[in-house]
Amino acid sequence: MDATNGNGGASKYITLVSKDGFEFVVLREATLCSDYIRGMLRNNMTEARTGRCELQDINGVILEKVVEYFHYWYKYRDREDVPDMEIPVENCLELVVAADYLGMDSKPH
Amino acid sequence: MASRTNKIRPIRKPITNRDQSEFEPCWALLRDAMTDIHLQNAGRLSFEQLYRASYKIVLRKKGALLYERVRDFEQEWFRDHIMPNIAALITKNLINISLLQHPGSSSHERREMGEKFLRGIRDSWTDHNRSMNMIADVLMYLDRVYTLETKQPSLFAVTIGLFRNNVLRSHIGAAAEDIEQDFVVFDILCAVILDLINMERDGDIINRNLVRKITAMLESLYETDDEIENHRLYLTLFEPRYLEASTEFYRKECEKLVQEANCSTWLRHAQRRLNEERERCGTTLSIMTTDKIASVVEKELIEAKLDVFLAMEGSGLKPMIDNDRLDDLSILYQLISRVDSTKSALKVILQRRVRELGLEIEKALKNTDFSVAGAAAGDGEDAGEAAEKAKPQTLNPAQQQTAAAIKWVDDVLQLKDKFDRILSDCFCDDLLLQSAITRSFSDFINSFNRSSEYVSLFIDDNLKRGIKTKTEAEVDAVLDKAIVLLRYLTDRDMFERYYQKHLAKRLLHGKSEIHTEKEMVSRMKSEMGNHFTSKFEGMFKDMELSKDLTDNYRDHIASLGDADYKMVDLNINVLTTNNWPPEVMGGGTSKGEGAKLDCFYPPEIKRLQESFYKYYLKDRSGRVLTWVSSAGNADIKCVFPKVPGKETGPLSKERRYELNVSTYGMIVLMLFNDLVDGESLSFDEIQAKTNIPAPELMRTLASLSSVPKCRVLLKEPATKNVKNTDKFSYNAQFVSKAIRIKAPVISSISKVEGDEERKETERKNDQTRAHVIDAAVVRIMKQRKLLAHTKLVNEVISQLMGRFKPDVPLIKKRIEDLLAREYLERVEGDSSTYRYLA
Repeated sequence: MDATNGNGGASKYITLVSKDGFEFVVLREATLCSDYIRGMLRNNMTEARTGRCELQDINGVILEKVVEYFHYWYKYRDREDVPDMEIPVENCLELVVAADYLGMDSKPH
Repeated sequence: MASRTNKIRPIRKPITNRDQSEFEPCWALLRDAMTDIHLQNAGRLSFEQLYRASYKIVLRKKGALLYERVRDFEQEWFRDHIMPNIAALITKNLINISLLQHPGSSSHERREMGEKFLRGIRDSWTDHNRSMNMIADVLMYLDRVYTLETKQPSLFAVTIGLFRNNVLRSHIGAAAEDIEQDFVVFDILCAVILDLINMERDGDIINRNLVRKITAMLESLYETDDEIENHRLYLTLFEPRYLEASTEFYRKECEKLVQEANCSTWLRHAQRRLNEERERCGTTLSIMTTDKIASVVEKELIEAKLDVFLAMEGSGLKPMIDNDRLDDLSILYQLISRVDSTKSALKVILQRRVRELGLEIEKALKNTDFSVAGAAAGDGEDAGEAAEKAKPQTLNPAQQQTAAAIKWVDDVLQLKDKFDRILSDCFCDDLLLQSAITRSFSDFINSFNRSSEYVSLFIDDNLKRGIKTKTEAEVDAVLDKAIVLLRYLTDRDMFERYYQKHLAKRLLHGKSEIHTEKEMVSRMKSEMGNHFTSKFEGMFKDMELSKDLTDNYRDHIASLGDADYKMVDLNINVLTTNNWPPEVMGGGTSKGEGAKLDCFYPPEIKRLQESFYKYYLKDRSGRVLTWVSSAGNADIKCVFPKVPGKETGPLSKERRYELNVSTYGMIVLMLFNDLVDGESLSFDEIQAKTNIPAPELMRTLASLSSVPKCRVLLKEPATKNVKNTDKFSYNAQFVSKAIRIKAPVISSISKVEGDEERKETERKNDQTRAHVIDAAVVRIMKQRKLLAHTKLVNEVISQLMGRFKPDVPLIKKRIEDLLAREYLERVEGDSSTYRYLA
């Protein structure tokens, strides 16, 4: 897979890994609504080089929803009147924690 | 999620003692990572791990501690790892050269040393900047939560600011013990950059990228960690010094240029400098400075010595204008537009030059006037041409003056063309300058007291002389030029008077094409309004009606079938007195009362006149026709019988000629019909028989007896000038190659007036003006009833502006006159106000 070829900068995708081992391949640009990932990718540390990030505190269910949001954000980033995204009530709290951690509460860049 | 308004905070987990103990391991992790980052060894670090560490610390409410620790860490890092390098860069030599400006160092040496220093600064800055960015990313959560809540400057601002505090503001230490002043590193930095820029201005090549890196650094550092936009170090520290140094540089340069260069070099130099500085801001400094440095150059290099350069002998504005240096003028205009939106320096000299050149035309004219024909030939085309033509006969003063008038107009038009060209090619048709130039033209044209007459003469000359050989477009151009000049004239009533006179002569003598005449008048009409051309149009109308009248009369005679009258073919022009100039109407300019008496016509003519009068009155009873003998002409068929005793040559045969002479000429010649061969008539006898006014008669006789091609009369004695005592006889030996001969009709040549005539014209014009002013005053007062003196005068001036420029004393005199004639009265108690008396 491209995202793991040792030079993440060249790939259009990155891989996000959840606490419980689920891997999500995400369009690099879609992840830029997270300050966390943005900061991670622009510094030449392990994750930036491998294009692979293991999020130690986020489980698969939550990360899936986060990834869904990345694509939702990417798809509608320049539009108005966008449809709401469905958020299951039982995951709300954990999603909020994850969003805070990933720095997704600031205005999209 | 999109509509969320409240800030989401992390969930507070119960704080336990265990948290306290967690800080140190996390910090240890971060501290090691920061060291690695500084050593450019970050590749093995895990962003997630570090981020999580700072996240934990912040969640455990230890943000303040972390913030402090990081700052202290960086502070120490500076002290231990960076400052030694910087200190090493600051050598004694560098200080001497950059700050104390010790002499004896070549620019090459200075450049090498300066660039080395800059490179050192740049490298530590690049490292620091990169590290701080990375650390700020890792500690992002700290900024997002702790820093924001406590309203402190971001960690990045604080740590990047350390560079300013530790490096730029650090005092020069051991290396400069003997310096009394307290310099900081920035002073050296700034001095080095300014030195490099001055080197570049002097033509050296410097490392622009390096300088740009440093200025970019200054742009991204602020005075304080609050990072206020206007407090960028570039703006607060560097730029003022840069502008000051540049001011100094350009002041010196300008002084040098004043000494050594000419205006043209200066213009190009200034233009080049402006471009250079703009480019420098883009490549080497910052675009924030572009406008400011431009205004320094404008002020020091352009404005400071502008007047000196413009006044330079041989290269200043005057020679630029004179020699049509259009490139120089273009640059000059661009530069001046930058420094002065009113362009007054340019405007003043320009106006003065226009007036000077205008007066030179006038002066040249005077020289031409006083010299004889020969001298005039070398002087301008038109005068020369006219002079050449007349050379064999020596130009008479009147003709010479006419030529001079045309030369004047031509020269003025040439001058106008010249400035038009400058205006459009160099001054971008600047409205301000255009109106200034127009004003100057108007000034000098109107200061020349014969301009009205000369303009009219110019039109006269062009319509008469050239028009038949000219194309439509050329005619158009001439008419356009005439209108251009007309616009400048303020005494339009004078022009009207002259034009009327000249037009009358052209029309009566058929000297011009009526179509072109009408075109000209219609242009004047659209330029000056209806009232201006009404008389001219009346004249055209008279001419047309007369043509019909002549035709009808001819038909009438033919229908009568009276053989007697067929002998003389009458072509008549009936002129309405008001439309035509009094000179033409037989009033005469210098003939006085005598001219009122009509001359004695020969009986044939007398009969013709009566016949026509009768015919004319049939439809128009009550009208009076006055025969203007001075304005007419006649074709005479003459037969010269064979001269006895001549068997060969033209004299041996009978000769028939058609002679075209003035009416007076005809009357005179007919006298000789009754004379026996060999008999002669004296001047006095001729006058007694014809009653032609003496001056006219002299002219008539001169044209018939002294011009070789139509010498049908012999004069005794055979001198040039006609005297009262001269005797005239029939020239039986007259020979001519042409069948049709035109005796020169002297009065048909429009010429410049003599001084006498001129005074007369002026007097008449003043009279007319007085009436016009009277009318204007009455018109205004009738409407206003009550008006103060100054208001009345202003109103009069504004009403008459289009016709002439009335002078105030004259208006005052007319008002007094109107008071005396009880059109107006003074209001009691307020003597400066008038009331209209109905």
